[in-house]
Amino acid sequence: MRVAVVVAATLLLAQAAGAEDIEKRAQADPHGEVSIVNVAGEVQVTGWDRNEVQVNAELEEGAQRLEFKTSGARTSIEVVLPKGRTFEGSSDLVVHVPRNSSLVTQTISADQTIKEVRGSQRLQSVSGQIQTEAWNEDVQVKNISGEVNVRGHNGKGTIRLNTVSGDVRLEDVGPELDLTSVTGDMQVRVAELSSARIKTTNGDLELRAASLTREVRVEAEGINGNLRFRFRGAIDAEFDIQTFNGEIDNCFGPKPHRVSEYAPGNALRFKQGNGEGRIRIKALNGTVEICNR
Amino acid sequence: MSEFDKTGRDPLDQALASLPEDVAPERDLWPQIRAEIAKTPIAAPASPVQSNWFRLAAAVLLVLATSFVTYYVTRQSMQEQVAKAPAEAAPAPQLSGQPASFTFGPERLGAGYMNARADLDRRFKERIASLPPATRMKVEKNLADLRHAADEISATLAENPSDPLLQELLMSTYQSELQLLANVSELPTAGSMRTDL
Repeated sequence: MRVAVVVAATLLLAQAAGAEDIEKRAQADPHGEVSIVNVAGEVQVTGWDRNEVQVNAELEEGAQRLEFKTSGARTSIEVVLPKGRTFEGSSDLVVHVPRNSSLVTQTISADQTIKEVRGSQRLQSVSGQIQTEAWNEDVQVKNISGEVNVRGHNGKGTIRLNTVSGDVRLEDVGPELDLTSVTGDMQVRVAELSSARIKTTNGDLELRAASLTREVRVEAEGINGNLRFRFRGAIDAEFDIQTFNGEIDNCFGPKPHRVSEYAPGNALRFKQGNGEGRIRIKALNGTVEICNR
Repeated sequence: MSEFDKTGRDPLDQALASLPEDVAPERDLWPQIRAEIAKTPIAAPASPVQSNWFRLAAAVLLVLATSFVTYYVTRQSMQEQVAKAPAEAAPAPQLSGQPASFTFGPERLGAGYMNARADLDRRFKERIASLPPATRMKVEKNLADLRHAADEISATLAENPSDPLLQELLMSTYQSELQLLANVSELPTAGSMRTDL
């Protein structure tokens, strides 16, 4: 009896809140593009084996409608809001797409969770969290303050990431990285690293690579953040590390030297193997640590 | 080979000897020359003060020209190095146009940079006003962090003007600042978000 009352009350509350459940589906190109727009709430996207796109939406009161369009190889899903009104509610989207689709998302505060989507991804948010997987295609993420988590499968895709204050965690991602952060901390784990361009202002960076390609290229720069690198396996690279105030810790052997008698800067240049690769690290105040353990 | 007549003299010598020793002009040219000279004012010699100004101006011009050439050559050399080593180059920065050296604030980067920055700043302020308050605070704090970092490097650079690391980091920080302004300016608003991205 008590359970029945609770269920009835929940249904009444949902009705009163004006929530609307919608399901839509359409045939889709197995390698097509799916784009999703949702301001607030949640977006869950999962790749599946069917050649169709399906969306289950829960629109809260305030959202005008769900737009679902297919044109050629492109499917677009958008929670449309009434113009000129402030929308304080949130809408949840659960979307299934063909596994090899490319994905484009745009949210303001909505969190994004993406699984099993193997085409290229361009994901953008302002304050929502973004969690996705990387395969063999490129993944590009832009976020302002939300956290970003990318779990890779040691594929070949490039990860391009630009965040302001959100923390970043990349695991088993592809061999090419282009990462920028202002204050967010970055933790990166790569199986084989071939190129990386990393910039942080105040955030810390930890980059672990199980191996480096023979002609690896790394350019890393920090202002106040600490930069920490763990490179394992055979290394065939030339290191060029400079700091203005920060310390340099090196497990490879050579010790850093003072750049000038009158300035606090440190520099460390050395070669491992034939020095085919190039690793350049620059820092103002942060500590730079490189290690092979 | 010249031919000689019966007298044994060279015919060319004979021809030269036959020429008159002087030829009177057809008209007297001096009155016209004198009139032309009288028409042209004679410049007074420069005073010592004026002469010094000219020397100073020439010296300044020389210094400027030398600086420009040095800057130009340095920049060309850097560009050539970048062009020659594409494999070594990191992905191209989204903003470029850097002078050889500078020691102070962003105004040193020229009017073009300052105009672009002011324009971006204006759009940034318009856009950030519509962000949720918590996000707005974070973005503003991060922008302040970037600007503080730039000021810090700039001040340090003023004490160590020839430090290439500081120059590079300062330029990079200015680029990051512009990048942040641009990223926020380009953010879609709730009403403008479209799926035709």
